[in-house]
Amino acid sequence: MVRKIKDWLEVRIGLAEIIRTQLTGYMVPGNINLFYTLGFVALAAFFSQVATGFFLLIYYLPHSEYAFRSVQDIMSRVPYGWLFRMMHAVGSNLMVATVVLHMLSVSYMGSYKKPRELTWVAGAFMLFVTLTFCLSGYLLPWSQLSYWATTIVTSIPAAIPYAGDMIAGTLRGGEMVSGATLNRFFAIHVILLPLLLIFLFGIHLFLVRRIGVSSPPFGRTAPRWRPGTSFRHEDHPDGHPFYPYFVQREMMMVFLYFAAMFFIIAFLPTLFSPDDANTPADPFRTPAHIKPEWYFLPFYQLLKLIPNKLLGIGIQALLAALFIFWPFIDTREEDNILKRPRLLALFAAVVVSWVILTVWGRYS
Amino acid sequence: MNAPARLLWLALALLLITPGLGRTEQIVCLDCHDSDMMRKELRAIPEEWRKSVHFQNGIACNDCHGGDPGDAQMAMSPERGFVGKPGYDQIPQFCGKCHIGILKNYLDSGHGRALKSSGSGPNCVTCHGSHLIQRASIDIINEERCSQCHTYERAKVIKEALFETERNIRELRGSIEALHKAGVYTEDLGKELFSTEAEFRTLFHSVDVSLIRQRTDGFLRQLDRIRGEDQNIVRELRFRKNFASYLMLVCLAAAGVLVMLFRTKG
Repeated sequence: MVRKIKDWLEVRIGLAEIIRTQLTGYMVPGNINLFYTLGFVALAAFFSQVATGFFLLIYYLPHSEYAFRSVQDIMSRVPYGWLFRMMHAVGSNLMVATVVLHMLSVSYMGSYKKPRELTWVAGAFMLFVTLTFCLSGYLLPWSQLSYWATTIVTSIPAAIPYAGDMIAGTLRGGEMVSGATLNRFFAIHVILLPLLLIFLFGIHLFLVRRIGVSSPPFGRTAPRWRPGTSFRHEDHPDGHPFYPYFVQREMMMVFLYFAAMFFIIAFLPTLFSPDDANTPADPFRTPAHIKPEWYFLPFYQLLKLIPNKLLGIGIQALLAALFIFWPFIDTREEDNILKRPRLLALFAAVVVSWVILTVWGRYS
Repeated sequence: MNAPARLLWLALALLLITPGLGRTEQIVCLDCHDSDMMRKELRAIPEEWRKSVHFQNGIACNDCHGGDPGDAQMAMSPERGFVGKPGYDQIPQFCGKCHIGILKNYLDSGHGRALKSSGSGPNCVTCHGSHLIQRASIDIINEERCSQCHTYERAKVIKEALFETERNIRELRGSIEALHKAGVYTEDLGKELFSTEAEFRTLFHSVDVSLIRQRTDGFLRQLDRIRGEDQNIVRELRFRKNFASYLMLVCLAAAGVLVMLFRTKG
């Protein structure tokens, strides 16, 4: 039966050739490491979010009167609703962690260098889309935590001269966070952002396959491949086959990702949901210590440290632009960070500052 | 400007940009009562109130004393319903605006009748205090307090009759708080317990031993039902933990199989 289907497909689409050129005959670098699997893990995380999000959509009611109650019903009445909701909530945090780790490893391996500048830019935008996913999804449970965290975040653009109030008003759909904000964030979360992420992912994957997988600068046996003046695909004739060698490692990392997710659901179920996440939103009662999620803490803390709010936003926008266009700033050919002490120091400084601001933001 | 000062300014800026933030702090009553121009005993009121169960539940000055908390000029105007400090014999009616069930039982009790006939019987603040008011419990019935007016024997009998129900309420409250901290939405269960507790509190105020004994079984049955729901949630949480652990082990096993697979194939 399987043979018949294969033969049928072979005649029509040349299946054997696709498998040979795209899987078994497609070679990845011989010194490739596990960090190279993180892009695939992030993709698996996104599909997990789509699947669990679809399940939540069946029961979730995007209305300020019913949103909180519907989430509680998912948690307590819908069979296994708690599992899907927890997978979605914990998964969003793990997905951000995976994407951040992926970007860090790409920076450390120098994989953003010519000719992969556009791959980096698409990846950087995907990180921002992922963060926007988290921001828009955060309001949907309509809890005290989500309501007030969104109030604080949506008030930030108000510091921008002239257009600030208009931006804040457009985001909120009025003077303050209300049912109109919930409707906007819901539409952005379930339609706009998934389409945008899929589009960016398409560009990212196209560029990765078109240019070829970069080889890590560490443990090379052959001389480094150098791009020429015209387009050339980077191939690795002495490397490992994409399937089964690399796919097995990718799958192992995906299983470890889900093991980590289920560990948090089983043993640390409140890690990402403090008390205020279980209390319905009340616009007339501000909880005492509202903090953004861990991935926004460095931005939050930096904004707190800079006395002028506009200056704070300006600096953050500048840092974001530097991050997106970094491959066009660091144009030196050497991709081994260990041979570039100043770049290594900058990398370490960024990571350490990030950690310090996160911890500071959490406990300040 | 040093770092703490910068943080303070930023915190203030956040207060300004966040609508509704610190609602109770916007009450104009506090502007005067917190200031040095106020007499010492009146200045102590806001601090006592901030430590009270009323503050925790968002009950502000105007909820009891009336007036306009948003307008300094009219804050103490009778036109805006300001009643100020009630007279001694008016206190039960004053508190009874909200604590309706308790007021009825109190007025029918020996305490209430004494106040009505002589104008000097115990009223709400005799036992509960005024601005520093705390969540009530049967610990409020004690020899020191009751002996101010009469012997403790009868109060002791009432306390013993109430003891079992009170213990159950305390245990359940602790358990529901623990569930809330474990990420469970407990508002419905909490409301059910609160309503039972409130009904039980009205019974306190009748100071009628036979009535308390007669109704105790009913309260205990009601509390048993709430405990049943509470235990169901505890069991459900245990199942969730086990099920997620099982899924975690399945994923770890699958990752392990893959590791073995690519090790054996070199």
